[in-house]
Amino acid sequence: MWRGFSHLLKKDFRLMVSGKFFLLALLSLFLYSCYINFVFVNLDQEMYPVYLYDPQDKLPVNREYVTKLDSREALEAACKDQYSVGIDFSRDAPEVYLLSCGRETIDHYRMTWGEAILHGNADGHADRIGPYNKEMKNRREITAEFLFFELSAVGFLGLASMLFKEKQMGVIRVHGILPVCRPVFILSKLLLLLLSDLVFAILLTVINLGAAGAVQVLPDVLLQAGILSLIMALVGFLCAVKLPDFKQFSLFYLILAVFVTTPVFLAEQTGMEWKQIVYHPMYHLFKAMKAAYFSAPITKASYYLACLGAIILLFLLSYQTLNREIAKEG
Amino acid sequence: MIEVKDLAFSYGKDKQALHGLTFSVKDGEIFGFLGPNGSGKSTTQKILTGILKGHSGMVSLFGKDMQSAHTREFFQKIGVLFEFPYLYTNLSALDNLHYFASFYPKEQRRDAEELLHELEFKKDFLKKPVSSYSKGMRQRVSMARALMSNPKLLFLDEPTSGLDPAGAVLFRKIIEKERKKGTTIFLTTHNMLDADLLCDRVAFISNGNIVALDTPRNLKEKNSNHSVVIDYLHQGKREEQTIEAPALKAGIPFAYDELISVHSQEPTLEDMFIQYTGRGLT
Repeated sequence: MWRGFSHLLKKDFRLMVSGKFFLLALLSLFLYSCYINFVFVNLDQEMYPVYLYDPQDKLPVNREYVTKLDSREALEAACKDQYSVGIDFSRDAPEVYLLSCGRETIDHYRMTWGEAILHGNADGHADRIGPYNKEMKNRREITAEFLFFELSAVGFLGLASMLFKEKQMGVIRVHGILPVCRPVFILSKLLLLLLSDLVFAILLTVINLGAAGAVQVLPDVLLQAGILSLIMALVGFLCAVKLPDFKQFSLFYLILAVFVTTPVFLAEQTGMEWKQIVYHPMYHLFKAMKAAYFSAPITKASYYLACLGAIILLFLLSYQTLNREIAKEG
Repeated sequence: MIEVKDLAFSYGKDKQALHGLTFSVKDGEIFGFLGPNGSGKSTTQKILTGILKGHSGMVSLFGKDMQSAHTREFFQKIGVLFEFPYLYTNLSALDNLHYFASFYPKEQRRDAEELLHELEFKKDFLKKPVSSYSKGMRQRVSMARALMSNPKLLFLDEPTSGLDPAGAVLFRKIIEKERKKGTTIFLTTHNMLDADLLCDRVAFISNGNIVALDTPRNLKEKNSNHSVVIDYLHQGKREEQTIEAPALKAGIPFAYDELISVHSQEPTLEDMFIQYTGRGLT
């Protein structure tokens, strides 16, 4: 069995090379790393501008963050951007004025910032977020996101395109009459993709977190990357064998990207509130990946049992679908 | 070698593909399995090669019941040529053969280059990718793949499809050579000439039933009217007469100056098939 397995591995490796799979992965690695190092770490959100209408000059304020206005009308006009915060101190008690941006959490931050200005304890710099500085926090966050995206969308596509080639050539059927276990046909592809994804995860983490930061998180990251890689590779395998042509597969891929991955990013990365997202399995994988990058790995046994169950189920479905494909007419 | 008794298979509730086939194939025999599209011949071959499961009835290969026959050893003993040349198009002929052969024990494998030479494969293409090959060349590589492991039982599905007449003749020679080595061959085909020239026995299958099974010669003889058509010249005129073959025992029973041709009126295998099944081999 193992002799057959090594030949399958060699053949799959050649297919991956000829399909430029590794080249694409390297290109992705380069692009992600350039974006993280040259763009993302330098991104910062501007402080909410604060406009003060204080006709009697009752409030001593830090001028760095505050712009004084002459009328209530000017204050309302300045706050029309739904980003700025206004303070009206024309009466006895000050009043924070702001137009809602549509997200309760962000409105709350704006309100808190306005009140901090009022009480004179505003400090616009957050140097440490948990045990990390701001740059490291950003690096970990975006690296986790890129790795999740790469494994869930790009890796999935890589395996599926390789399998579509074999399907179109009809060679899958030949494997039905070879003296080799059929599950090994799936396992060799899984192992190659898993190894390639793990190498990708190591490189992406080392390049963007630095060697010291990477060593700290890599065991947890590799575990999560391995789980995600296996699940997505099996989904890719299943779809590529089951769907009759690449057109249908492309449509399915679009659905997967739009309806499966996007809600996870939206729910986790924006202020969008969506309680039902907890029923989305990819959401938990994404959370687990981020937690691994912040050295707070998920320890719940139920999570790992669910992942194991999903992998076994997907493997059995893939095996069944492979048998059907082998038995199909030419 | 192959024993099949009351073999039935269904793809679903109302899709009965095989209705209790019974036949056997002896060691070293070339057995032709003939039938139109959808008649059940591919289903039968898939069951015999272990690709399709869930049949009823008794199927035994190499003296072992099919339920337990599909082991690694079983697959080492069979070779299958599919209807279409399934090959890795990004690899060369040699790489394809080396890859597929790598699953068999070393002592069982044949030399890939030698085999391709025997199949008159163009040498210049040995290391070029299969994507640059013609259909005939791909069929040659596929045949080489099926023969690479020196199988004891060879399943051939339309072996001469996609070949020019010279290629078809060569393939028939190769199949004959395999038989001489003692290989048992299960030949599935539409091609009546292949069946007639190669097969020791043929089975006609129609709608999942075997409607006739015998040697091609017996099948034709049984249904022959035993007459011949003689074309001749007499007193400067060309004439033709049909007479019963036994009447020739005493010589040609009419006056003639010169014989031009004598044609047997024996039916062809295709005529027989149509007679037995009421369908053409399409």
